[in-house]
Amino acid sequence: MIELKNIEKYYANKGVKQYVLRHVSTEIRQGEFVSIMGPSGAGKSTLLNILGMLEEPTYGEYRFMGEDVTALSERKRIELYRNHIGFVFQAYHLIDEMTVAENIEAPLLYKKVPSAERKSRIADVLDRFNIVAKKDLFPNQLSGGQQQLVGIARALVAQPSIILADEPTGNLQSVQAEQIMELFKKLNQEEKITIIQVTHAEKNAGYGNRVINIADGVIKDDMKVMPQP
Amino acid sequence: MFKLNLTIVLRTLWKNRSITAINIGGLSVALAAFILVVLYVGHETTFDRENENYDNIYLVGRTLPDYSTNYTAPPLAKLISSNFPEVAAVGKMKGGFFEFPINSQKGRYYASNSVQMDYELAKMFKINPAGGLQKPVGLAIYLPKESMQALFPNENLNEQKQVIVGPKQAGDVRIVKGMIDRDQTHSNITFDLLIVADDLGKDEDLGFNNYNTYIQVKPGTDVSALSNKIDKLYKAEMAKGDSDPDWKWINSIHIFLDPLKNLHLQPKAGNNASYKVLIALSVLGLLILVIACINFTNLSIAQATKRAKEVGVKKVMGAHSAQLTVQFLLEILMQCTLAIGLGLIIAEIAMPKFNQLFLVNLNIWSQQSLLWQLPLILVLITFIAGIYPALVLSGFKPAAVLKGNFHTSRQNSWLRNGLVVVQFSVAVIFITGLLIINSQLKYMRTEDIGFKPEQVIAIKNMAIYSDPKVFAPFRDKMMKIRGVKSVTVANSIPDGSKTGGNSYTIDGKRESLNFLDVDFDYFETLNIKVKDGRTFSAHYPTDTTNAAILNESAVAKLNLANPIGKTITGCSIDYRIVGVVKDFKSQGFEKQVDPTIYTLKDPCGNYKTSIMVKVDEKQMAAVLATLKAEWSKINKLDGEDFRYQFLDELYGKLFQKQEQLQSIFFAAAMLTILIAILGLFAFARYMTNGRIKEIAVRKILGATDFQVLRLLNTSFFMIVLAANLVSWPVAYILTKKWLETFAYRIEVPVAPFAISALVTICLTVLTVSLQARAAVRANPVKALKYE
Repeated sequence: MIELKNIEKYYANKGVKQYVLRHVSTEIRQGEFVSIMGPSGAGKSTLLNILGMLEEPTYGEYRFMGEDVTALSERKRIELYRNHIGFVFQAYHLIDEMTVAENIEAPLLYKKVPSAERKSRIADVLDRFNIVAKKDLFPNQLSGGQQQLVGIARALVAQPSIILADEPTGNLQSVQAEQIMELFKKLNQEEKITIIQVTHAEKNAGYGNRVINIADGVIKDDMKVMPQP
Repeated sequence: MFKLNLTIVLRTLWKNRSITAINIGGLSVALAAFILVVLYVGHETTFDRENENYDNIYLVGRTLPDYSTNYTAPPLAKLISSNFPEVAAVGKMKGGFFEFPINSQKGRYYASNSVQMDYELAKMFKINPAGGLQKPVGLAIYLPKESMQALFPNENLNEQKQVIVGPKQAGDVRIVKGMIDRDQTHSNITFDLLIVADDLGKDEDLGFNNYNTYIQVKPGTDVSALSNKIDKLYKAEMAKGDSDPDWKWINSIHIFLDPLKNLHLQPKAGNNASYKVLIALSVLGLLILVIACINFTNLSIAQATKRAKEVGVKKVMGAHSAQLTVQFLLEILMQCTLAIGLGLIIAEIAMPKFNQLFLVNLNIWSQQSLLWQLPLILVLITFIAGIYPALVLSGFKPAAVLKGNFHTSRQNSWLRNGLVVVQFSVAVIFITGLLIINSQLKYMRTEDIGFKPEQVIAIKNMAIYSDPKVFAPFRDKMMKIRGVKSVTVANSIPDGSKTGGNSYTIDGKRESLNFLDVDFDYFETLNIKVKDGRTFSAHYPTDTTNAAILNESAVAKLNLANPIGKTITGCSIDYRIVGVVKDFKSQGFEKQVDPTIYTLKDPCGNYKTSIMVKVDEKQMAAVLATLKAEWSKINKLDGEDFRYQFLDELYGKLFQKQEQLQSIFFAAAMLTILIAILGLFAFARYMTNGRIKEIAVRKILGATDFQVLRLLNTSFFMIVLAANLVSWPVAYILTKKWLETFAYRIEVPVAPFAISALVTICLTVLTVSLQARAAVRANPVKALKYE
């Protein structure tokens, strides 16, 4: 589903190239649950941003579902966002001025989903995540874990084929973090949604089935892990 | 989607309601000023616009070697109408030059602006009395609605009425053919009594240039060619009937055609001061609006940090940046709509004051043109104020915005600093100007003007009192009233009116002097100081035949060392100088006191009709009541009404123009300082937001709150100081130029410059500190948490 060939990313600073990513080549198949790990400044987030088409690589080839992303127009790229990719952020990034239900509705509006279907999908997601009672609250009235649940619900409501998560549990306490990771695992196993997460914690990586280790912009190793029972 | 966006907009605006209020408030104040200016410009530029021949009507005028005039002679009209087929109609009119009463059984008013016009002109200007305009046989008198209402309260005005023209006893009964209901404040031709004649000036030749001639041309006429043809014909006609025509004189006169649309603001003969005022006002209004729009932009961008996340998330969810641009524009459109609504309210509140200041009678709700102007203004300001923030906001890159803590970076842009400098410079100029205008006005009100207009009443009078013997009985009657201190009569009162000029010979030298014809007690009534000799006195019988008094300026101009007793000749009379009085500023402060000679007998002067009475302060009310009750007994020749004005109020009118200027400057100073402070408010927030981390680090390193505040204030302090330095020379030159229009003036004072610097700096420090307080007080740990 995702194919990276020789991706490079650098910033030119006074004529000196500062590499963030070098010679990154890999392939991610449908249904995988990949954790990208590595020390601070290794380039994890940049890689995720490139995968999510928020940043462009300086050099290299990126194919998403067979299409060459680097050659795509802005409009086409936005089509891809709408239909295939869901984002989950460390700081949740819910829109403060919208209620829970409105936050979840927003991506459907941009996908131009008809009103009746929007309602049913929102109701469905709220129900599944057990947050029906909170639907009219504003983000600042929720705990961190609840906010992240809404964040994931918002990513899922558009029925993406892949979820990109940047340290999804970085701001959470361990109990809440476990719940979120369990949810990811369930989504991956039961609904076959591809998940790519950036994480610091070995423990979190254990929920997935593949770990990519990055250091100084280079993939150090790439290994399959057995999901925990 | 639109509904959701709308609710988000409302929630966002409500959440930041203080900023929103400032944003909308600032804009609405500027809009109110702009709406007033638009209304005023609309009113001033559309005089007679309702006339469907507006573009085809021209006033015929003449250029003479020294000046241009709109006065033409009556035969010219006939000459034009019978020679030029392209002229559709020709009409002429003549104004009345004196005030006379119109009486009915129930009321009376004084017609001070009577107009005679021929039937053609009345038709051309669509004057439509009740019952229709008919070509009269001889004359027909019409009255405007206001005059009719004064004369016939609570009566049916749509019928013929009888009035008495002139004093009631004279019994000159006339028929008023009908009432004219038209907007007298919005036409080049106004009147409080109209006489329509079948023809005017039949017996007058080309020398009687005291009429106005209007022509209406057929559409498509080449007007400059027509004016040349009329010019040629006029010259030929002038030469006719003269065996030896003075061609040099004839050829120096030229006929011009002045279009109706220019007559009110920029006539060829007359001054275009009101046109200049109009341009200046338009520029001021536009300037204030644009500065307010830019402030609005700054404030919106200062809010950007808060909206960045929303933009990033929406983009990641698949929003196009165009969609976001539209969303932000709609948001600003809503605020602008609110601001316009508020602006209309403010304009409505300020309207009476504005009308009073500019002597107009404007009304927001009666202006149809606002219906299309307001939406246009709305779209325009939304675009000016909104397009930049909308593009900046929708242009945020999600990858940058969504990663950790996002701050709009501190931009040390020259443009922004420059804008603030310009705003404050304008504010400083207006504040300095206002203070200097205040000082000069204060000087004018407190400075000794050389006479005392207080407790002097100036009586309007139709009887002629040129001969002191004729005036004596009147004076005696007046002096019998308790509280009357002295009574005099002259041919002009010291309210700025011009006096006549003539040439006088003394010691064989010929000089021109102004003259004023007075009666006994003139100097006593006005409390004018005698410098040398004496004033006129009934004890000296020759005073009524050949005594003269000079003022100091006249003595200086004639270069007399010892004037008393000398003989000065003028108007075929040898006057003996009996006294010298101190100069007094009868013309106000703008003109130097004229060298003037005062006499009792002067055949060259106008009739003495202006009566002045000095009254004891405590008895003023009683004296006025007595005069009102017994006026027709005391002064039979004047008619029934005792008409008077207080001299100090009349003299005060000389300050009116300056007071108007003072009001404009006051409003402009307040507006510009308000807008500048609002702009600074936004700018300070923007700068402080960009320095939150720096502030936190400094505090952790041990800086006190005060030190941080001082740090934040420094750059703004420099900006405002720069603005002061830039505007001081400009303000100095402008105010010096203005002060030079006064003959009696203050030196440009230093204090206003210091005060405006102090005011702007204090306001700046206050604003910045207020804005920075939150950032300074915040716990530094919070600001540094995500880094």
